[in-house]
Amino acid sequence: MKRLRSVFLAPTSVILAATLVAPLAIVCVYSFLSRGAYGGVREPLSLENYTRLWDPLYGLIFWRSFWIAGISTAICLVLGFPLAMFIASSGRRKTLYLSLVILPFWTSFLIRIYAWMFLLRDTGLINTALQAMGVIREPLPMLYNDGAVILGLVYGFLPFMVLPLYATLERLDASLIEASADLGARPFETFFRVTLPLCAPGIRAGAILVFVPSLGTYLTSDLLGGSKTILIGNLVQNQFTAARDWPFGAAASLALMIIATALLFAARRSGEELL
Amino acid sequence: MKRGIAAYAVGAYAFLHAPLLILAAFSFNTSRFTVWQGFSFHWYAALTQDRELIESAANSLIIAIVSTALATAVGTLAGYALWKRSIGWISGSLYLSLATPEIVTGVSLLAFFQWMFRYLNLRLGMHTVILAHVGFSLAYVVVVIVARLRSFDPALEEAALDLGATEWEAFYRVTIPYLAPAIAAAAMLAFTVSIDDYVITSLVAGVDSQTLPMTIYSLARRGVNPMLNAVSTIIVVLLGLMVLLSERLRRT
Amino acid sequence: MNRRTFLIGASSISVSAAACARGPRLNVYNWSDYVAPETIPQFEQETGIYVRYGTYESVQEMLAKVMSGNSGWDVVFPSNAFIQPMREMGLLAPLRHEWLQNLDALDPTFHRPPWDPELRWSVPYMWGVTGIVYQTGLRPHAWRDLWDARMAGRITMLDDEEEVLGACLKMLGYSWNSDDPTQLRKAQSEAVAQKRLLRAYLNAEVRDQLVAGDVAAAQAWAVTAAQAIQSAPNRLAFAFPQEGFGRYCDNAAILRESRRQEAAHRFINYLLRPSVSARIATAMQTATANGAARGLLPPSLRDNPVLYPAAEVLARGEWGAAQTAESQKLRDRLWTEIKSA
Repeated sequence: MKRLRSVFLAPTSVILAATLVAPLAIVCVYSFLSRGAYGGVREPLSLENYTRLWDPLYGLIFWRSFWIAGISTAICLVLGFPLAMFIASSGRRKTLYLSLVILPFWTSFLIRIYAWMFLLRDTGLINTALQAMGVIREPLPMLYNDGAVILGLVYGFLPFMVLPLYATLERLDASLIEASADLGARPFETFFRVTLPLCAPGIRAGAILVFVPSLGTYLTSDLLGGSKTILIGNLVQNQFTAARDWPFGAAASLALMIIATALLFAARRSGEELL
Repeated sequence: MKRGIAAYAVGAYAFLHAPLLILAAFSFNTSRFTVWQGFSFHWYAALTQDRELIESAANSLIIAIVSTALATAVGTLAGYALWKRSIGWISGSLYLSLATPEIVTGVSLLAFFQWMFRYLNLRLGMHTVILAHVGFSLAYVVVVIVARLRSFDPALEEAALDLGATEWEAFYRVTIPYLAPAIAAAAMLAFTVSIDDYVITSLVAGVDSQTLPMTIYSLARRGVNPMLNAVSTIIVVLLGLMVLLSERLRRT
Repeated sequence: MNRRTFLIGASSISVSAAACARGPRLNVYNWSDYVAPETIPQFEQETGIYVRYGTYESVQEMLAKVMSGNSGWDVVFPSNAFIQPMREMGLLAPLRHEWLQNLDALDPTFHRPPWDPELRWSVPYMWGVTGIVYQTGLRPHAWRDLWDARMAGRITMLDDEEEVLGACLKMLGYSWNSDDPTQLRKAQSEAVAQKRLLRAYLNAEVRDQLVAGDVAAAQAWAVTAAQAIQSAPNRLAFAFPQEGFGRYCDNAAILRESRRQEAAHRFINYLLRPSVSARIATAMQTATANGAARGLLPPSLRDNPVLYPAAEVLARGEWGAAQTAESQKLRDRLWTEIKSA
């Protein structure tokens, strides 16, 4: 049995080594090297890239990324909870409603961002409609700002919040809610003091599932934020392409990686089985 | 309260689906601009004339098919082996690969490939893209397979062994048929993920491996283009059908 | 050999075989919208060489791809300021003039350009200046006008460090190509001050937004400007900033890594043919470095003031020059800081 198992695991080990372990190791090494004259990687080992990351300028980027990811997560929670409640209480049609939530997510992420570009531009549908209805005279600048990025993130990751919330709500013991009502609590009180705390695991799982990818987002801020909203993902991509400073980009990616892993670790230790 | 939530749900679903529906609607607009001027298939016809689009679509298909086949095969075996007994570093790595931000995966693969190419006489191309895609699809496949195996009774395999089958035969004749729908579902999932990838692919692609998302991205950066609406609609419909099918299979 | 290696090998071979059957035999990497629709098909028909044609939006993007020395591209089109650095990095292949019979068609002013006097490494292709495209009704005539708060949210600058830093340097009265760290830092703070008024950093992508009216004023290359004005002749205009501006020339060059030197030369020679160059200049509204081609242009294009400005206007322009490695490194860093601010 052991032999069969090792044979079965061999290809996976090779692939993981080649596409995960070795690449991350190289990035780690590069982060301590320096940039060549016009690019490339060169000998002098130093901590310069990391001290450079410590500069308030980049601290600001990290802070802005946290801020945007945090707001998006909060909005997803507020928007996703009622939706999860609806699905959990919809009896036979549960699978249908659930599929309707998952479906948009699995179709192309890039195309969904483009859909919002189409809607939000100065000459896009929303502005044209509002102007035609006489609600506004000048087009509203809805694209190329933080708001557009947050909108894109919420739209992109809402299903990630809805699914764990739905899972916890479904397993909720209805008798606990009834007991609370029997004891005289108004629906509002029951919700905040009984339902919500019982959903804590689902909320935590959903929050992590939205926050971590939002933190490292690249496409959303690139297309909707208009190269003004620079987040960590954009910084890393830029260093590895146009800016040709791989060592600095490597340091930034490692920083992002460490933060993301730490968050997931913390979530896992509080008992969430996400895999 | 229930009425309120139902009304809210309608709004939420509209939010989730309207942008794509609107995108599709305007792909049939005769005019380039956001003013409706008539129904036409003109932009879809234009797609067939665009050499770059067609080539990148072909590349995307080849990459997706090959990487899906590889990832599904390798992932099924791995999922089965891990279900029997989990190995720390492998499960951990798979988890890590799901959790790593795409940009980090992309740049690290780029760095690794370019470093290796100093010693091998190779360059970025189809093969690097396929390898990268197998890398990130693997975890998705394993998750689906392991989930399915959770409801599989090991006694069935043991019975086969008792009746004289080898381990491989037991796996092949008993477990695989049980896994079949999950394998198909996992394959479709891997295909979807591969077809749509932009970030990682754009970093490790070579001269011969311009993919559809890369073409879409450069068109999207230039502004609104009804041809883009048309190709988006086609992709969304195809992938949507595939996902629905995958969900159906997972639940049998 | 395990199964996976075999499968990968088999699929790679079949894919390459499929590619070779139709035989891509020249890989050309050019700026977007820089050839006419029939340019490539006509070349393919004449020579039977299949061309894989890729495009980029910025020279940094191109440089990042070819710097590894194994990108797979054969012909690229760097702007003049990058010819020398690319030579220093050993990226360019020397040109063989015996394979470039049409070289004489070049305009005399481009026979001995400052960045490559003997044309050993590059062949001038299209040239232009960097200026301001604006909606008529506004009247920007200097770089300083792009810092005007009244246009806030509707201004764009080029997504290119040389251009943005250059404009800021000119605005402060320094040279477009300054390598003085103090001057560069001052330019950087000007750029950062402008950021809150900016809509985005866009290259040729801004053209559609100008035509649609989303953008009021944009720092743009003359070719983008000419294309935009052609689409919206009464609504857009171009200004050559008072403080001075940058001049650029995109050149055809062959990468040293290319194993198709002869085909690459044939392609460049084809581009030098006056009729071909004239056709590209007409279709894409570019200013050609090809003197014979210019003679073939319709008068409206030949005397287009945006593409071929008068000598006294051009005198205010400075050719972008190659930076030293140190200066380039500083500029790259300042650009990251501008982008991150």
